[in-house]
Amino acid sequence: MTARPFHQGATEDRLRVLQGRARSRRFVAPWMVVVLIAVIGFLGLIFARTSLDNSAFELAELERSVAEQSALNQQLSLTIARLENPAHIAPLAEELGMVIPVSTNQILVDLSPSGPTVVSVEAREEAQ
Amino acid sequence: MATNRFAKRFDANRVRIAFIALFLLFAWAGMAYRLVQVQVVQAAALADQGLSQRLVARELPPQRGKVFDRNGELLALTVEAQSMYAVPGQVDEPLWVAQQIGGMLGVDSDVLYERLTSDRDFVYLDRQIDAVVAEEILGLEIKGIYAHPESTRIYPAGQVASHVTGFVDIDGNGQEGLEYVYDEQLRGTPGHALFERDLGGRPIPQGISDIVPAVPGADLNTTIDLPLQYQAQQACLDAIEKTDAEACWVVVLEVETGGVLAMTGAPVFDPESRQTLDPACEGSDDPNVCRAFSNFTVRGIYEPGSTQKLITFAAAIEEGEVGVGTVIPDVADVLEVLDGACDSGDSDVYGCYHDFKEHATEDMTVAEIFTRSSNVGSIMIAERVGQERLVSYIEAFGLGSKTGIDYSVEAPGILNFAAGCQTCWASAAIGYSVAATPLQMAAAYAAIGNDGIWMQPHIVSSIVDVDGETEVSGFETRFVVSPGTALLMRELLASVIEKGTGTAAQVDGYRVGGKTGTANKLGDDDRYTEQTRASFVGLAPIDDPKIVVAVLIDSPSREFRTGGASAAPVFAAVMEQALHRLGVSPDVP
Repeated sequence: MTARPFHQGATEDRLRVLQGRARSRRFVAPWMVVVLIAVIGFLGLIFARTSLDNSAFELAELERSVAEQSALNQQLSLTIARLENPAHIAPLAEELGMVIPVSTNQILVDLSPSGPTVVSVEAREEAQ
Repeated sequence: MATNRFAKRFDANRVRIAFIALFLLFAWAGMAYRLVQVQVVQAAALADQGLSQRLVARELPPQRGKVFDRNGELLALTVEAQSMYAVPGQVDEPLWVAQQIGGMLGVDSDVLYERLTSDRDFVYLDRQIDAVVAEEILGLEIKGIYAHPESTRIYPAGQVASHVTGFVDIDGNGQEGLEYVYDEQLRGTPGHALFERDLGGRPIPQGISDIVPAVPGADLNTTIDLPLQYQAQQACLDAIEKTDAEACWVVVLEVETGGVLAMTGAPVFDPESRQTLDPACEGSDDPNVCRAFSNFTVRGIYEPGSTQKLITFAAAIEEGEVGVGTVIPDVADVLEVLDGACDSGDSDVYGCYHDFKEHATEDMTVAEIFTRSSNVGSIMIAERVGQERLVSYIEAFGLGSKTGIDYSVEAPGILNFAAGCQTCWASAAIGYSVAATPLQMAAAYAAIGNDGIWMQPHIVSSIVDVDGETEVSGFETRFVVSPGTALLMRELLASVIEKGTGTAAQVDGYRVGGKTGTANKLGDDDRYTEQTRASFVGLAPIDDPKIVVAVLIDSPSREFRTGGASAAPVFAAVMEQALHRLGVSPDVP
């Protein structure tokens, strides 16, 4: 068995440690960003579309409600008009003892300086 | 060794795989072919087919306009209703169904059964019924019975304003009255909707949508006063009951504007059912018997009798032939215009004229002749005017031509002055040989109340559409007589009511003027009958006229055969209410 002597000095002369820049690795690849944006955009689009559809449904519901209320309003107007018909009121008034005036109820207003007085014609005729 | 190689080459598994691969290849090829066919070759056609199944095009019917009276009371409007229909082929037990829903619809079950067993694909059971009733029927869940929404015309005032509004047919087309005349404005413009729908028939949000909304019809504001219209109709109904008359008609005009305050009569009809309410018409198919739909005040003509004398006297005074105090000598109770006419003994021979009451021959002033309504005296005055001038005044007062009122099928009336007629002028002087509508007579009297200016009557005062309210204007006016003559005529009219034939027309608190008229009716054989048309036309307050009322009673009983007996009380009742409604101050303390 032979042994060669260890030439420490020569090794030290040929090999040395270099302090170079460490190789940096990107955390997120560009294609991932694109995909991410696309996914977010797609989800946003879906959300917007859904929101829009919901709004449209709400709008349709509101329109239906407006139509219903309009129809109700129309019915109420009709009911009022029917109730205001003189042919409806007259018999009710008659039942309550009211009468259509058959003679003029004249009121004379005396504007003399002594002060205004109101005298009905009937009262004046009776006085005469 | 060779056997092994053969076995290896034709391994069953490999064969299977090959078949499957081949199958899949064909399948994919088939699908690819179909894909290309659907997505490329037939793409457009299939897209159109799909769209056409989703797309719905509908006409949007416009809301028909409303009609209001002068106070904003509704006279006519359109509301949503339901129309029930059936698909007869789907109805399992038509007899049971007919009996079940007949009562609810108010339709005879036999009629319903007939419809339900017809061989048609679609039959209406009843149209434009109340939504609540429709819901009740649909709640029975009878197979083959359906409903769809449909508009219906409602007249809240019912029969009260029926002669003004007229009516529409089942499809909403104007048929009579204002509904007919203003049909174009009232009906509006239909819109349309094109949209995508889902399986449930609901519009797809964000789908194709093209909606052009309908333009609603215009609303009409009229000059009619509904309470007065009611009072006038009631007065007519009472008069018919009291006088046993066939009909009664009333027109109330506002003197200054020519606006119609009331226009009604009896018999009456229900504008919604379009059925007369006159019991005499029930079961009668003869249109001449049932004339309730016809508004006689505008469309019916009659010989006005003595109410026509207003024109005769106004013409004579305006032409300076007589004054109010002019004495007409030797006024008898009989006058023979055509030689021998009074000797024939035939009362229908024209040329022999009588006063209503016998009296001795006497000198009479023009005022007396008018107040006592002497036919003989009136003809003697007309003789001074002459036929040519008399006719020109009759025409100027609006007789013989349409007034131009905004109402359907107005009658122009008749002026019968045939060439060679020797007695027509005399007949016309006292209201024969002339046929006028009650409206024409009211307008003629309004001219006297309006200081001699004739105004075209009208019903609609303004039209309200999507662009706003438009006043109706441009009514015809014309001078007929001078204000002086009009004033004298008003005094003569007042004297008729104060001491003449029209005392029953007096209204408490107001000085009123008017003229009675009684004209015999022509029979089917063109000979005058004993039946009369009694009328009264008058103004109030006579010193500053605001209102004209014309009343016509058709064929009253003998006791009420004159205008003074039957029409004058109706005039008084209507005039009193009209004065109150317009807030006219009393002028008689």
